[in-house]
Amino acid sequence: MSTMEQTVNEIDTVAVIARNVNFFYGETQALFDININIKPKQITAFIGPSGCGKSTLLRCFNRMNEVILGTKIKGDILIHGTDVYKEGTRLETLRKRVGMVFQKSNPFPMTIYDNIAFGPRMRGLKDKTKLDEIVERSLKQSDLWQEVKERLNRSAMDLSGGQQQRLCIARTLANEPEIILMDEPASALDPISTSKIEETIQELRNYYTIVIVTHNLQQAARCSDHTAFFYLGRLVEMDATARIFQNPSQKRTEDYISGKFG
Amino acid sequence: MENKNEYVRGFWAEGVPFIWMSGIAALILISLIAGLLILVLASGLAQFWASDLAKISLSDGSYMLGIIEKEEKTSEQNRILVRIGNRDVNGLDFKWVEASKISKIEYPPTASVVERDEYGPMYGFITSLNVGETVVPSTNAGFENIMRAEIDAAREKGEKMKKLQLILDTDKKEITALEVRIRKLEDGENAGTPEALLQKADLEKRRVEMLEAFGTVLTSAEKEIETLRVDSDSPEIQVLLAGGEKPSLKLKKIVAIHSPNSMGVFNKSALYARNVAKFVWDWPRESNTEGGVFPAIFGTILMVFIMVITCTPLGIMTALYMNEYARHGFVLSALRLAVNNLAGVPSIVFGIFGLGFFVYIIGGNIDAMFFADKLPEPTFGTGGILWASLTLALLTVPVVVVSTIEGLSSVPRANREGALALGSSKFQMLWNVVLPNAMPGILTGIILAVSRAAGEVAPLMITGVVKLVSSLPVDSAWPYFHLDRKFMHLGFHIYDVGFQSPNVEAAKPMVYTTTALLLLIVVSLNATAIILRNKLRKKYAGSAL
Repeated sequence: MSTMEQTVNEIDTVAVIARNVNFFYGETQALFDININIKPKQITAFIGPSGCGKSTLLRCFNRMNEVILGTKIKGDILIHGTDVYKEGTRLETLRKRVGMVFQKSNPFPMTIYDNIAFGPRMRGLKDKTKLDEIVERSLKQSDLWQEVKERLNRSAMDLSGGQQQRLCIARTLANEPEIILMDEPASALDPISTSKIEETIQELRNYYTIVIVTHNLQQAARCSDHTAFFYLGRLVEMDATARIFQNPSQKRTEDYISGKFG
Repeated sequence: MENKNEYVRGFWAEGVPFIWMSGIAALILISLIAGLLILVLASGLAQFWASDLAKISLSDGSYMLGIIEKEEKTSEQNRILVRIGNRDVNGLDFKWVEASKISKIEYPPTASVVERDEYGPMYGFITSLNVGETVVPSTNAGFENIMRAEIDAAREKGEKMKKLQLILDTDKKEITALEVRIRKLEDGENAGTPEALLQKADLEKRRVEMLEAFGTVLTSAEKEIETLRVDSDSPEIQVLLAGGEKPSLKLKKIVAIHSPNSMGVFNKSALYARNVAKFVWDWPRESNTEGGVFPAIFGTILMVFIMVITCTPLGIMTALYMNEYARHGFVLSALRLAVNNLAGVPSIVFGIFGLGFFVYIIGGNIDAMFFADKLPEPTFGTGGILWASLTLALLTVPVVVVSTIEGLSSVPRANREGALALGSSKFQMLWNVVLPNAMPGILTGIILAVSRAAGEVAPLMITGVVKLVSSLPVDSAWPYFHLDRKFMHLGFHIYDVGFQSPNVEAAKPMVYTTTALLLLIVVSLNATAIILRNKLRKKYAGSAL
């Protein structure tokens, strides 16, 4: 199979391709030659000890690293076949296609409704009925509708931590993204809120490509279809979640999963 | 012994002396502020209280009538300071009296204070009211009510006269303006051309129409003014003064009469309220040492208002560029340094810059372009409230910039990233998320700017403040806002009354009152901004979660 054919093939079956990605914070290299394929409409978990580069790679997919001054990337990242680092790429369009949920819930100090409608409004949607539809659909998808439908015009800051995080997921869903990146979405939440978030993620699995960074190995085992293990800026191995947790091919993966280091 | 060492070490380790010192420093500062406030408020607010009039009989048989201001007891002498008023008769307002020469002090109930348009208050005993040939002695029953009615009537007539005169003047001005335009057409470059002739005929027609329309009004108004003047000229009161003089006072020149010695606390309080209202709403009299300060209040508030609406957008834009867009490097650091140091430039330097740049360059060019027909009389090419406000805006813009930058940097990065991750552009993120979040910081800047601007006097003195104005910068004449006009300002008023007036001692209470008022205005402007800021803070509380 020639490289060209392979690429064409991959575009159909792969949502995100990272090829030879090297990433630098100033002089410090954070990622070394990462090659990874992420399958569409499935959940992929990134695991690894702190500072291993999993969040950095995640933030490369929607170019969020550019917010930080002095960062530099080498290599290609393709989202459904489009090179995101190609010159002339509109960040607004890219980030609409690749949504992101952060570690700390970060609702804007506005009403719940305005939070959800933020993305569509930024793209110029003003039609009230359409916005209403989007808000309702997104909140239902993130399991928040029943809890907040009576108080859409109240401040989002009044919600509990778990509700805020689900609001942030709903806010991302309102953009109808192709891919959702989640950067330790439940690490700041209590166990009950965490299981709520996990339920939500499960319900989304068939509609969206989800990449989730997590410190919680049980969470990765419970939620994901595929797991990638990172260590010191390198991808150690990636495989079906069941295999990674039961029969990893690398010694380091086994050590990490069995708790020998971390 | 061991215990004692322990104690001593603890004493120093816990910094007990330092805590004491910092407490004392705070105490000193607070007492300074409280002392200043008490001094200003006590002296300022006392001036509206009607003090009793003392009749001081001297050992040589004569007597004085006045308000006892203070007593001075030293080893050599024992004397009192009496405000004797009647500046037109005595030539001075205050007199020291040796205590040893005083035989008796009493407070006769009929002694009256007459407030009038000129020469300050008159202290004396009202003997009669003369209307034309009729003389009503003050011993008659109901004299006081008759007198008050007459005074009100006289003042009403005076007001009416002023109003008529104003209408008359405006009408006359309009006709004169038409005549000027006609003359220009006759003498101008295009004189004799068909268009000019046509235009001229048109103007002539309008002039005739106006004269016809106004003619009857004008003559009747002139007649009415004349009768009003004769009418209001005649009523007078006769007053017996301490020195035995018996001058007559025209009623239309009297502002108010009261007899403090016969007034109870309730009446005095009512008079106090009236005096405060008059101070706030009236125009100044007697080269600003009496009457109210309304034009100065108006000028101060309007100036601060124009300053805020010009310096706020400028400051926010600058801060946004510096904090969000400018590339980090030498230029940005230099710019930050410059902005910080700009706040330390003496305000008079800003005044001189304002005079040169706004008044002469911009104002001069506006005049040359739009008001050429009025030259050499300047319109915008001279100091005015607009230029003074803009000068102050330049002076305060660094404060707004610095606070806005602080406000922008305090917006959590999570909020910025959240907005960007939802596909908003940088501008949309700034506009919809960062700026509303930074609002409390921006308001802090505005609060500081207002405090600084409201108390600033030096730069105003060369960019448009005057001692007395005849009209406000906003009135009912088209185009309603006359920002080219000169204005009065409370800060300058304090300086002017306190140090430039012919009678500094008599004007002292006025200085205190004006200071108290200026403080009150600054505090209430700030309070408004602070309340707004706290509301916003509450709204954004928890966003740092």
